[in-house]
Amino acid sequence: MTGLLRATNVRVAYGDVHVLDGIDLTIAHGEFVALIGPNGAGKTTLLHAIAGTAPLCDGHVDVDGHDLAKTPRAAKEAVGLAIDPPSLPVLLTGRECLALFAGARGLPSIPPATLALGETLSLTSVLDRRIDGYSLGMRQKLGIMLGLIGEPPLLLLDEPFNGLDPRSALAFKTHLVSLVARGGTSVLLATHSLDIAERHATRVVLLMDGRVRRSWDAAELMGMRESPEPSLEKAMAEACGV
Amino acid sequence: MAFLRMSGIPVLLLASCVALACGDLYAGYGWCLAAGALLALGGSYGIVHQRLLDALERWRFGWCGALPAVRGAAAYTLLLVTIAGLVASLAFVTALLFGISASAQHGGDRFYALAGIGLALVAGTAVAAVRVFRPSALARTHHADGIREPVLALPWLNDARLPHLLDWQRRAALVRWRRGGSFVMVGIVLAAVPIGAPMLEVSALVLLVLSWSWLVVVMRASADAFVAAVRLLAAVPWDAHSARMASLRYPLIATLCALMLMAIGTALLRHGVVALFWIACAGATSAWPLVRLARATRVAGPRA
Repeated sequence: MTGLLRATNVRVAYGDVHVLDGIDLTIAHGEFVALIGPNGAGKTTLLHAIAGTAPLCDGHVDVDGHDLAKTPRAAKEAVGLAIDPPSLPVLLTGRECLALFAGARGLPSIPPATLALGETLSLTSVLDRRIDGYSLGMRQKLGIMLGLIGEPPLLLLDEPFNGLDPRSALAFKTHLVSLVARGGTSVLLATHSLDIAERHATRVVLLMDGRVRRSWDAAELMGMRESPEPSLEKAMAEACGV
Repeated sequence: MAFLRMSGIPVLLLASCVALACGDLYAGYGWCLAAGALLALGGSYGIVHQRLLDALERWRFGWCGALPAVRGAAAYTLLLVTIAGLVASLAFVTALLFGISASAQHGGDRFYALAGIGLALVAGTAVAAVRVFRPSALARTHHADGIREPVLALPWLNDARLPHLLDWQRRAALVRWRRGGSFVMVGIVLAAVPIGAPMLEVSALVLLVLSWSWLVVVMRASADAFVAAVRLLAAVPWDAHSARMASLRYPLIATLCALMLMAIGTALLRHGVVALFWIACAGATSAWPLVRLARATRVAGPRA
């Protein structure tokens, strides 16, 4: 596996509040990394720093060999950030929103793979309706599709299972695992669902107070999966000092 | 902040009209005062109507919507803010009017100007408040305004580099226009015209007032929609130059249409100075939104 993301000494502050305080993170092609940690640990900010939507105070981010500060467009070609449901444009339909993102990415139309994902997530029937009339779950599905449009090599997902019905959540998990298994896609998933992290991730990173507190590699996770008890939960509690 | 938003724009709108109405030009162009009063009427109605609807919606459906507030508390508070905004606008207009007219050749006419513009401001605000707070309006859902499509679909105007940005801008403008009162303004303008006024000049005034108000709405809505699009697409590798070009299509077409209507209006009015005034108004209206459109691609992304 080769390096896809290299984040070095990443620092982000909002005013006087230091949200990220020197994060080092490397992700290889075909890795499924879960980012866990308490509220306010900096998970969402880290995703936005990697996507280029949160300004860095220090450090640098390199995606697929492109420095995010020097060549942001080339670096962003390799990144897909799922859109937060409240940020979606309520005056457009789901299909129009997908076309807008496809056009911005330089694609001639909505890729068939994205439409197929919509079918998998049971969103096709409402794609021609205004987003204003979508439920939270529908908006979440559309946000996921927007992040995955064009299948960029690095997917950044922030609690993507929030609001999804069990069938759609399972379908999306299966889709993610198959994308990663093909080797071309890596996933960085910020989540509080420790069971998803434990079962599907190849690495879990615990973030606390803007720093990486601990990480568990594939071998350790494999050991946890074989344990009858929810081991990641226990391991995280120990690492947090609870 | 709500107070400033409620009062700021009508005050700016009135400032230019009052300056023109009370200057030395007043004697030759009595219609300028009428135009100022009509703008005060239409502008205060449109702006107060939109601001009240927005505020009421935030109150009902925003984070505080589920709080056990006393029935009618929102309407009562907003009404007080509206009255305060109105009083501030009147005070500002009075001060401005007296300041400007002190050295004007026809300074004695300031009382007529003040009465005309003040009454127009009060009437516009009152009509807006009544329309927003009437029971049937309060019962409407907050989605209703965005559902209807524009009369003419313009798919050929879409830019392939940012498809549907134009639709976004058009719908945002449409929602804002309908919230601002839309064609109700025609009725208000006509109601304010003195009996016996020449029909040609009345038509010209209606055309000028409406086209300018429409341009204000379109330019602001287009800029707001584009700024929102830039934030939405912050993580996407788009080309800033192409985006700016795509964002200008709808505002430019709208400006051309508005200028055509204004040209017809000024031709009917047959006053060169009035034409210059309206062109200056159109330019001032479009300048800041255009600057915002140009600057939007440099806006930082959302905070995590």
